Amino acid sequence: MMQRLRGLGATAAPIWVLTAVLLVLPFTLGGSWTFMLGLCFANSIGVLAVSMLVRYGGEVSIGHTFFTALGAYSVGILDTRYGISLWASVPLALFMGVVFGILFAWPSRNMHGIYLAVTTLALALAVPEIINNLDALTGGYEGLYVATPFVPGIEMELQRYYVALALLLAATFAVARLRLSRQGMAMLLAKTHPAAADAFGARRVWARVAVMGISGGIGAVCGAALAFSGSTVSPGGFTFWQAIFLLVGSVVSFYGLSMPRVLIGGAFVTLVPQLLSASGAWIPVFYGLALLGMILLGHYMPRIQKALAREK
Amino acid sequence: MNSATNSLRGEQIALSFGGIKVLKGLDVEFRPGEITGLIGPNGAGKTSLFNCLTGAYIPQQGTITYAGHSLDGLSPAARAGKGIVRSFQHVALCPDLTVNENVMMGVARNYSAGWLNAFLPLPRGRKEREEMKRAAEAALTDLGLPDVGDKMPGELPPGMQRLVEIARAVVGKPSVLLLDEPAAGLNNSETRDLMKVLRKLTSTDLVMVVVEHDMDLVMSICDRIYVLNFGEIVALGAPEEVRTNPEVVRIYLGSDDDE
Repeated sequence: MMQRLRGLGATAAPIWVLTAVLLVLPFTLGGSWTFMLGLCFANSIGVLAVSMLVRYGGEVSIGHTFFTALGAYSVGILDTRYGISLWASVPLALFMGVVFGILFAWPSRNMHGIYLAVTTLALALAVPEIINNLDALTGGYEGLYVATPFVPGIEMELQRYYVALALLLAATFAVARLRLSRQGMAMLLAKTHPAAADAFGARRVWARVAVMGISGGIGAVCGAALAFSGSTVSPGGFTFWQAIFLLVGSVVSFYGLSMPRVLIGGAFVTLVPQLLSASGAWIPVFYGLALLGMILLGHYMPRIQKALAREK
Repeated sequence: MNSATNSLRGEQIALSFGGIKVLKGLDVEFRPGEITGLIGPNGAGKTSLFNCLTGAYIPQQGTITYAGHSLDGLSPAARAGKGIVRSFQHVALCPDLTVNENVMMGVARNYSAGWLNAFLPLPRGRKEREEMKRAAEAALTDLGLPDVGDKMPGELPPGMQRLVEIARAVVGKPSVLLLDEPAAGLNNSETRDLMKVLRKLTSTDLVMVVVEHDMDLVMSICDRIYVLNFGEIVALGAPEEVRTNPEVVRIYLGSDDDE
């Protein structure tokens, strides 16, 4: 049983240890690594949003940059245009993500599988165009620069790291709690047996709309974290490829929802291209090989574990 | 026996898929305080009738009422809200939830803690889960499964999975309980336990309908039995009457004329 629950929820001890390590890391690492890890945490939240949709809704999204852009521009616009910091812009981002998740889910409530995935693709493709057309607000190609500190007086470099970490912790905690709730259980039942969910009062349409709302909300929080940790918001950060990378991160972490698992996905999205940056034209090839390696490792891991256990 | 005012009734229910008439204008009445059996060969329309009663199918003709109120136009979830619940012919437990959590879903409709309770460890949500958990454990114990709550459904043999599904149906104290082949896949001792549980569940308020192929179970627990064939009622009566009804015997055993 625990093995099945582990993928959905979280076991406490490794998370506490990991959190403790991440809390002290900026004091031992250089500035560029701290910056990269901040982005990694932000992307991990995006991976969580995509994995949440897979686990609780049984659906795949290749358009989650719509929600990350929504969150990022909530932060960017409030910061540059009105000087309002994350205290207000993160709740706004979350709200916008949930609302647009629901607005997207309602008309597509009866679509499943590849049809829904292609519909989310439309979202992803629309994002850069929307941003450019609203350039009076979004700054168009040039983008926006996020500079208002979250807590005044503390070094901005540290804030960019710790805010993303805090948002990641909050998001994974909330999703772990959801697994234990009546609503979370109803969504899981509606995913596997919609007729049974209906027969016990948990409507499948409600479940779909709720899952999309939550996933959209988490996606927008990812965008808010990306905007703050990355300090700039521009259309280049929300291309179709970014949406694909979030899905890749979700697959690489095997749709895990615990913090360690989504961090694997976030690290794959953020750090692997960075580590490969010296490889020039070979980047896509090595990226593909790394992806293949991760998938094969995950696929054979149960067998490897069994073999090791037998030897012991 | 209670008066028939809280009955579940169907009048002139007709359902067809394309040109195939699955139910041909059925009149049925399921009374509280009774266990009503619904038998017939495969394809007779038993599960289709269940699906009409629960709102999964919308019959082209006829009305369904419970306690004098029309259920027409109500979704399955809304009917569940009125205490009309069912079990499924093919076990429909969620593999991502523990056995206990699956049973908890049967009582979930009685709770209403909001979304904040879903994401944060607030007292109301915790209390709700604790109460649902206790109710589920009690239902599992009643069905003779006290120690399986923490297992995943896939770890249980098929017979036990079916009992878990019945526990999910009964845990929320339904007013109408529709059981679709509850004994399928159960061994003899499990079937005996099931019969005991179903008898124990009968109350003056509960409408219980059982679709079942196990004739021993049907004949021993049912007060009245409807026999369906090709979407029509061919017999209705007490088990003894049905057992000796020549039309029923012909349907189940075939007659010389059929050969």
